[in-house]
Amino acid sequence: MKRGSIRFKMGWNYRGIGASFAPMELDPREIVPQFWYNIIPDLPRPLPPPRDPPSAEFSRIDLLRDIMPEEVLRQQFTVERFVKIPEEVRERYINIGRPTPLLRAKKLEEKLGTPAKIYFKYEGATPTGSHKINAAIPQAYYAHNEGVPAVTTETGAGQWGTAVALSASMFGLRSSVFMVKVSYQQKPMRKTIMNLYGADVYPSPTELTEAGKRALARDPNHPGSLGVAMSEAVEYALKQRLKYLVGSVLDVVLLYQSVVGLETAQQLELIGEEPDVLIGCVGGGSNFGGFAFPFLGHGSKAKLIAVGPSEVPKFSSGKYEYDFPDEAGLLPMIKMLTLGRDYVPPPIYAGGLRYHGVAPSLSLLMQEGKVNWREYGEDEIFVAAKLFSEAQGIVPAPESAHAVKAVIDEAKSAQRNSERKTIVFNLSGHGLLDLSNYESMMKRFGG
Amino acid sequence: MRKLVVYNTLGFPNPSDFTAFIDGVRKAGADVLEVGLPPRYAKYDGPVIRRSHEIVAKFGDLSGNLGEVARRAEIPVVILTYLEDHIDHLDQFLDSLKKLNVEGVLFPDLLIDFTQQIDLVVSKVRAHGLKNVLFTSPSVPDSFIKRTGEITDMFLYYGVRPTTGVPIPVDVGALIRRVRNMVRSELVVGFGLSGDKDIVSALRAGADGIAVGTAVISELEKEGVTEGLKLVSYYRGVIDGV
Ligand SMILES: Cc1ncc(COP(=O)(O)O)c(C=O)c1O
Repeated sequence: MKRGSIRFKMGWNYRGIGASFAPMELDPREIVPQFWYNIIPDLPRPLPPPRDPPSAEFSRIDLLRDIMPEEVLRQQFTVERFVKIPEEVRERYINIGRPTPLLRAKKLEEKLGTPAKIYFKYEGATPTGSHKINAAIPQAYYAHNEGVPAVTTETGAGQWGTAVALSASMFGLRSSVFMVKVSYQQKPMRKTIMNLYGADVYPSPTELTEAGKRALARDPNHPGSLGVAMSEAVEYALKQRLKYLVGSVLDVVLLYQSVVGLETAQQLELIGEEPDVLIGCVGGGSNFGGFAFPFLGHGSKAKLIAVGPSEVPKFSSGKYEYDFPDEAGLLPMIKMLTLGRDYVPPPIYAGGLRYHGVAPSLSLLMQEGKVNWREYGEDEIFVAAKLFSEAQGIVPAPESAHAVKAVIDEAKSAQRNSERKTIVFNLSGHGLLDLSNYESMMKRFGG
Repeated sequence: MRKLVVYNTLGFPNPSDFTAFIDGVRKAGADVLEVGLPPRYAKYDGPVIRRSHEIVAKFGDLSGNLGEVARRAEIPVVILTYLEDHIDHLDQFLDSLKKLNVEGVLFPDLLIDFTQQIDLVVSKVRAHGLKNVLFTSPSVPDSFIKRTGEITDMFLYYGVRPTTGVPIPVDVGALIRRVRNMVRSELVVGFGLSGDKDIVSALRAGADGIAVGTAVISELEKEGVTEGLKLVSYYRGVIDGV
């Protein structure tokens, strides 16, 4: 969009006595894109496709047809650079407050004394508190269109489960969520909000599935992991003949999340900024890919930095190979950076980052050196989160705090080198339902 | 005229029926016969073709039978095999194919697993007097699709589904239009293509031919050679009717 095409609109709102005059605002339709962006046609080399393992007793690719909404599967495998966002989905995006704001972290800049400008896309400004809703709405919409009565999924920190619970209720679907047990225990309020939206929530591993039973047999105190919870949800979908909604990792999820980056690009253009550095955290890769890939696709020269926890060292120690996205190996194998599907991540507080793999397209770009990475420990993350909260008032989700830490490091290096660069990052969620985690971190790492 | 490329696994469903099938395949309407050699790991093959590999394994080493294939089929023969199985002795392998009067060779794993060696392999194939049939798929970026369109010798083979014979829902028309605009070479579309609807959309979207495999294998397995050949004729009719 050209700068000249910004439309200012005056909102008139008659309320009995007189008119209330809304501030001049930008029409959301100018910012929320009409198409999602798919990076695959623009990758530097061919993306290895999903595969069935060598001597498979059944085809996992075939099994996708039973568990995923048909249109979602079609979009996963029909590779087009731009995919039209259905008008009803776009309307929902606008209804939940999209475009989310692009804000300048001026007080953080001042606190750091950096010459760099820091902007962040605030995905915490959605009703469920993170970017996850962007991928949940279209999947629930397609499931509903196909006459599916109920959906199921897994959740780590609870963000994805909450997004699915709300999206399902938007379209009148029942939903059930397998929540990683440590998070379930640490975050009772996440369960409450999911219940409020109408979802059933189970602490995983459960006795409801074979995958859950196997995990419990190995360790009766199994803390749970995203891989196990994912296996449970997939198995449950198969047995109960429900549809499974995918929260991350698969290319189609990164496609849906591109709404984040496309809006950001538009918003930056409106204020006349070009990013020099783009930063996001990585669990499965959906908020990072959704945020950064549209820039890459436009030929942006910005440096891309993906951030993960050093406790789950998939960037530094993962292997780039075919592996299962889920612990039980019910899903097709995908080529990705992985710590191994049976890897049980330590119970750090960024539950959404406790995952063994990285989305195939992001893995490939990291292999090709197009995306840089950083890994930080929980103690460093806590300090960064606290600094950001004090400076900007927004408590970041512990996952997003990983991005914040990298931003601070980049801003400090800009200061050392007196560089006036523009750093833009994705604040993928707020941490207001993670306060018990922060409480624990405060005790361990000092207030 | 639009091309019909017919796949069968070497020696399937058994060596004598295989011979009977290739004897009749030209008359049934095939333009090219694609013969699959059972690989160590059939990465992009679905359950039906994987089972055909297991079935022919019972008959032992059938490579000796390849000699008569090109002669009897009377149409160009393309060998479909995974490069992974031959990369260590590629010259020797290509040499043996040339001696058997094979026309072309298709390595479905070339672009994905041997990205750095594409030019090397393609020139080796030519140096041995064989033709390349490049294989491309939807997850291949535009820049590579353009390149494969330039370097393929016989036609570009476009596999529209992630695995053979599994009817994953895809928009065949959209997938083909994306590639059609980028390549000038002949474009043959296959992989999980079998229903008439798929075939019609493929041709309408600009495909120059279609390749069928799983459906033919299924028919051969269940109904035998006569019915297998009838199915080939049927596909010929569908193509010519568009
Ligand atoms: C706020 C937040 N950010 C990031 C992530 C990581 O997931 P992804 O890499 O798919 O964006 C999660 C996952 O739960 C999350 O809740």
